[in-house]
Amino acid sequence: MELYKYLPKTNCKKCGKPTCMAFALDLLQGKAKIDDCPPLLQPKYKKQYEQLKELLGSEEGKEKELRINVDPDLCDGCGICVTVCPVNARYCQPTLSGKAPDYPPDDHQLFQVKKGKCELLSIQHCRRVEAEGRERECRVCETYCPREAIKIEYV
Amino acid sequence: MKREVCTGCSLLCDDIIVRSDGLFIDEIYGACLKGKEHFDQVISPNRIVKPMIRKEGKLISTSWDEALNKTIELIKESKDPIFYGFSTVTSEAQLKGLELARIASGYIDSNSSICHGQVLDVAKKTGISLTTLSEIINKADLIILWGANAAESIPRLLGKIVFSRGKFRMTGREIKTLIIIDPVKTASFNVMGVRDIALRIEPGKDFELIKMLKEECCTENSIPEKGIAGIDKSDLKRLLVQLTNAEYGVIILGQGILQANQKLNVIEELLELVEMINNKQERGRISLMTMGGHSNMVGFDQMTLTFYGKRGSIKFENGNPIDSDDNIISKITRDNFDLMFVVGSDPIAHFPKALSSKIAKKPLIVIDNKKSATTMVADVVLPSSITGIESGGLMFRLDMTPINVKPIIKPPSNVLSDQEILEKLIEKFKGGGK
Repeated sequence: MELYKYLPKTNCKKCGKPTCMAFALDLLQGKAKIDDCPPLLQPKYKKQYEQLKELLGSEEGKEKELRINVDPDLCDGCGICVTVCPVNARYCQPTLSGKAPDYPPDDHQLFQVKKGKCELLSIQHCRRVEAEGRERECRVCETYCPREAIKIEYV
Repeated sequence: MKREVCTGCSLLCDDIIVRSDGLFIDEIYGACLKGKEHFDQVISPNRIVKPMIRKEGKLISTSWDEALNKTIELIKESKDPIFYGFSTVTSEAQLKGLELARIASGYIDSNSSICHGQVLDVAKKTGISLTTLSEIINKADLIILWGANAAESIPRLLGKIVFSRGKFRMTGREIKTLIIIDPVKTASFNVMGVRDIALRIEPGKDFELIKMLKEECCTENSIPEKGIAGIDKSDLKRLLVQLTNAEYGVIILGQGILQANQKLNVIEELLELVEMINNKQERGRISLMTMGGHSNMVGFDQMTLTFYGKRGSIKFENGNPIDSDDNIISKITRDNFDLMFVVGSDPIAHFPKALSSKIAKKPLIVIDNKKSATTMVADVVLPSSITGIESGGLMFRLDMTPINVKPIIKPPSNVLSDQEILEKLIEKFKGGGK
């Protein structure tokens, strides 16, 4: 709804949508671009145009690709990420007592420790990809890594 | 898949998955970097595979018979030999070492005497409540690291005790409170959560802190307004609330508190404080765990306590242990020895220069599997197989739990285990008579 505040709110239908509200929804879902709204390009709305661009810029960040980087130089294979990762814990029973998971690793497993270094197997089951709501903001592995070797980024 | 025991440090992780064809180790899963380096020793270029003897100032390879005979000759010539090390070999080899020291009328000590053995020495007076790893995993809700940097010295310890989900602690990290008392901000501080307490104590002030906690246990409101030892009043109050309300608290003692000023007093006060809290507490208790580094450091203490009734530092005379207050440091400082027999340790590199230069002047016999500063100045070097990888036996975890270690691969040809070498030496020693 924040997007709607910056639109001209004239319901001019020049963008091909019945109302400005509908256009705002399309903007949010990435179906439309700001430049599709001709009145916004007029100098009168220049300030709002720039603010919208800034807003959408940050919204677009969420669409960027998730990357979990494990720095092999810093990692010492303590296995805290393996134990603490909620996804690992949910599917791999042995991690319940802080033990190393089985080999070959389970499909759901995110991390494993191989040759004294932590390895990222896959991120498709990471909470940041699969979960809904607040769980999507999970940063457990990054928070508890004692060597600060794990970094969650959007690239 | 079968799980093996890693003997890289005193935690003796029993969940390591090793893929091996019986000759070489291919892949290691679950071991930390320390454990991986331990397994890598098998193919290390520093490995010693042949017995060596110093002739005309140079170490040259020789046969087993010659090396063993030379060793026996040196031990028989010596009047006051020191047997030192034994903290990385199996308990069977430790027993053989004790037997050799007994028949050679020598003095025997392990690394434990300058490390966590001190706690057991003090515990003779005050008593000690110990705990095991599985109890910590399943029950503990308070973990205190006192002068211990677990994240860097024993990497997997924190993952096992703080982050694990035990039977009565199903939520894992959330239900466990971690308190770290340390003057330096170590890597262990990075695992702190919101409810945890980080206490940056001033160096050497542990004694004052423990004294104050003891006082506060007896009479309330005795915390000074300014706080004590660089810790705020509010933090101290939180610490006391945690200590007196924990259902199952564990204090892990690291090198930091053992090497503090007036060290023996500090440990005695701490043990008394724990006793005091346990008497006062109604529903919970506090236990202690020492965090030694070497894989079987605890084992030597257990063996000497079981068979000779004394923790480490034993002087034998005429086949019997005699009373002596010596420890390894005082013995070397006073130059009260004429031979050093080292098993799986590196005193030349780890002791201060004043001590190591004294060791280097005396005849030195080393049993080890890799080159070290000690093997460089040694007179006889006997190669041994790597305990836990090439030879097995009984080892004790840091919580004094015995664990049976099995060999994974075969040792290189012509290399014996520590136990076999010591057995042969005893046989040869007895055969010649003294």
